[in-house]
Amino acid sequence: MTSDFHPSPLAFEPSKFTRPFWDACRRHVLQAASCNACGHLFLPAGPVCPQCWSADLGAEALSGRGEIAAFTIYRQAYHPDYPVPYVIALIALKEGPRLISNIVGCAPESVASGMSVTVRFASRGEFVLPLFVPAMAEDSNDA
Amino acid sequence: MAVHRAVIAGIGHTAFGRFVGRTALDLEAEAVLQAISDAGLAKHDVDGLITDPGPTQGVINGITPHFLTLGQHLGLSPDFVGSEVLGGASSAASIQRAVMAIEAGLCSVCVCVYGDAALSSPGSFAYGRGEESVFGFFGATGLHALAAQRHMAHYGTRPEHFAEVAIAARAHAARTPHAQLREPLDLDGYLASRLVAEPLRRADCCLISDGAAAVVVCAADRARDMRRAPVSILGFGQAHSLCTWSSPGHFDALPAARCGPATLERAGLAINDIDVVLLYDCFTIAVLMQLEDYGFCKKGEAGPFVEGGRIGPGGSLPVNTSGGLMAEGYGGGMMHVIEAVRHLRGEAGDRQIKGAQTALISGHGLGMNTHATLILGQ
Ligand SMILES: [Zn+2]
Repeated sequence: MTSDFHPSPLAFEPSKFTRPFWDACRRHVLQAASCNACGHLFLPAGPVCPQCWSADLGAEALSGRGEIAAFTIYRQAYHPDYPVPYVIALIALKEGPRLISNIVGCAPESVASGMSVTVRFASRGEFVLPLFVPAMAEDSNDA
Repeated sequence: MAVHRAVIAGIGHTAFGRFVGRTALDLEAEAVLQAISDAGLAKHDVDGLITDPGPTQGVINGITPHFLTLGQHLGLSPDFVGSEVLGGASSAASIQRAVMAIEAGLCSVCVCVYGDAALSSPGSFAYGRGEESVFGFFGATGLHALAAQRHMAHYGTRPEHFAEVAIAARAHAARTPHAQLREPLDLDGYLASRLVAEPLRRADCCLISDGAAAVVVCAADRARDMRRAPVSILGFGQAHSLCTWSSPGHFDALPAARCGPATLERAGLAINDIDVVLLYDCFTIAVLMQLEDYGFCKKGEAGPFVEGGRIGPGGSLPVNTSGGLMAEGYGGGMMHVIEAVRHLRGEAGDRQIKGAQTALISGHGLGMNTHATLILGQ
C-alpha cells in the first residue's frame, strides 16, 4: 500500500548539482563537491560552498573509506523493492563528508558503530549506487 | 518576568482516532468552533487564521495553501493568515506567529488550528527523504533510529530507557478521558512490540490519528472580559539545524539545545521553574534528547534519568501528562498547547499538577531540523 506513495525511489531525477555525483558513481568513483576558496569538501553538492559561500566549486574523488557514525536495521518494509532486513547507515567518510547509504556484504546483526567500511558500487535500476561493505570484506565480491 | 501582550483565550479539539468518513477539513472546523465558543467569542470576532495541516493534508495543494482552503470553508475574511511548514514544530510556531501578529497590531483574535485525517490516508508517514530514498531510507522512524542507535552506542542507553518513555505516556493517557490509547503498557509489552527500524519498535513511535485541535490567541486587552481566565505567554523561540547529514552533531543534539535556554532566558525563568512539561514526542528518543537539550539532565544521561517512572504519573518530573503524541493522539503539537492551558486553568482533572503556574511546550520537526519552544503562565 505504501507503494502508492513511492512509485519507484529509483526513478528520481538528480538535480543540476547532484547529477555529477551520480555520474561519477557510474564510473565507480565516489566524489564530493570541493570548494576552491576554503578547501571544504561537502555532500550533497549545491550552488555554493555551505561553509564560506564561495561559488568557485569543483569536485574531488574520495578514497571511499570511512566509518559508520550511526545505523539502523529496517525490520518493517516500506516498499516492495526494498525487502527487509536491510541496513541504513550514516557514513562519516575519511575526508570529512557524511552520507546515507546501505551496509551490504555482511549480516545486518554484525554491523556496529564505528565499524570501518569501504565503498562498493552496485547497479540498481537506472543508477549505480555507492554502497558500503565492512573494510575487512573489501576483497569479497558479493555486493 | 516578561509577559507578551497576547494571551490564550480559548481551546478546542475533536476526539482522536480513526473516523471513517470524516475529513481533515471537517475535523478542523469542529475544533475551531469549539475553541471560539470556549473563548466566548463568535465568528465575526476572528480576524486571524494560522493553520498547521498535518503531513497527510500537506501545507499546499498546487498553488493553494491550506489556510486558503480552510478559511474559505469557514467563510473568513481575516486581516492576517498563514500556514506553518515546520513539521512537528508547526503548532508551537503558529502560536508564536499569532502573538507576533497581535503585538504588531495586525489582528486581535487569531485562531491557530492543527488538523489531519492521517489514519484515513495509509502510508502517509512513509515518505522518502530526498535522494537518500534510493537506499531505502524511508520514514521518520528510520531517521530517529539513527539518533537512537547513536545514543545507545555513545552513552549506554538501553531499550529499557526508551520503554520508560512509552510506558509513562500510556500511564498518563489512562488518566486522560479523550486519549486514543488508554491501555497500559509494561516492559514485557514494550519488548514484545515489533521492531520497525532498530532499535526503535512500534511502541517507540507516536500514534497516527484523525483529529484536530485549535487554540485562540487574543490581544490581552480584549481578553479581560472574556469567559475564561486568560493564559499568559511568557516567552517563545525557535532554532533550526538545516544541514542534516552534513552537520557533524546533527544526531547528537537537537536545535532544542539552543532554543530551550534562549527561550527560558527571554521568559526570565530557569528550567526548574517549569511546572508542566510537554515535549514533542514523535519517538521515545526525541523525548530523551530533549530532556538533555533543555537541561533537565546532563547530555547522555537521559536514560538513567527516566528510570523508575520519573516522567510518569506521580514521578518527580511528569512529562506529557495527557499521554502526548504516543497515547493521547497525534495532535500535531497543538494538543500539547491545550494540555498546558488545562493545567494552568486548573482543569486537567486527575492529571492536574497542583499549583501549576508555568508550562513549557516544545515542537520538533522534519528531519530533526526544526524546533520551537513556547512557555505559558497563569
Ligand atoms: Zn568554501
